[in-house]
Amino acid sequence: MIIPVRCFTCGKVIGSSYEIFLKRTAMGETAKEVLDSMGINRYCCRRMIISHADLIDEVLPFH
Amino acid sequence: MEIEVREMNDNFARFVLSDASPELANSLRRVLASELPKMAIHNVEFHLGPIMGEDGKEFESVTPLFDEMIAHRLGLVPLPTYLDEFNFRSECSCKGEGCPSCTVMYSLNKKGPCTVYSGDLEPLGSDKFRVRDEFIPIVKLGPNQAILVYATAELGRGREHAKFQAVQAPGYSYYPAITFNYDKFDASRFDVSCCPVRILEKKGGKIDVTDIEKCTLCQACADSAPKGAIAVTGDETKFVFRFETDGSLSAASALSKAADILEKMSEELAKKVSSL
Repeated sequence: MIIPVRCFTCGKVIGSSYEIFLKRTAMGETAKEVLDSMGINRYCCRRMIISHADLIDEVLPFH
Repeated sequence: MEIEVREMNDNFARFVLSDASPELANSLRRVLASELPKMAIHNVEFHLGPIMGEDGKEFESVTPLFDEMIAHRLGLVPLPTYLDEFNFRSECSCKGEGCPSCTVMYSLNKKGPCTVYSGDLEPLGSDKFRVRDEFIPIVKLGPNQAILVYATAELGRGREHAKFQAVQAPGYSYYPAITFNYDKFDASRFDVSCCPVRILEKKGGKIDVTDIEKCTLCQACADSAPKGAIAVTGDETKFVFRFETDGSLSAASALSKAADILEKMSEELAKKVSSL
């Protein structure tokens, strides 16, 4: 739906990194480079961003 | 107990805890995770019904997410915490009614189409309560949708709810030591790349450890050498300790507050035991 505020497993705040991640990967950086440079080191936090399906724009027109 | 700081910045700490025991290190870890108080939004009031824009345009108080989901997301946003200025709401002199020394009020007023971010939370009162991490998406609004929310933040402890947990992933490991027995193997023919954290280096027929604190005690070097040639051991009185904070407290203040709480709790226990 929308990027979770925190990592489900450890509780690190990852919500604010998602839009930066999208922008930087669109500019051609690899996911690994972006996550490493943003200090998202644990695999629990990395999967939150890599595997997220952002569906809120799909449901936005129907309330 | 002694602490040697290796790294200490706003939201990360790494230090060596020496002259301690596994029990002591673990109690410090548990206090950091579940006893340390922290501010978080605990009560959210939604405005229902039409919301008027500045130009007289009418918005509906409708969002793509359920109100309880927005309330939950607001709760998880890290808020700057000033521990010495606030009491727990239940222990406050206002008897839980809510006053400036136990609660902080926030308002959130946004009209679509837009994304509502944590930075849109306006503290009612001093600006020092403004959310520092201002780009956490809370919800997206479509055209003619709006949100008007009053939220109350209060102190809580990690054992109550994860949103009150100021410290993330606190953990420690035994201080590692690697000993080489050069009689049992030929160091010049040993493959140092077997170490997954790459801390082994060949130097003049011997093996050099570059940064022992990076060792994860994985035993990969011991496994790839003949039996008894390399021993990886952990020191049970010395620990490499690390934790992160979510930004509501600095790592240094989280650690010193946790040490205070641990001291107080141990004193209480000692008092109760001695009265038995």
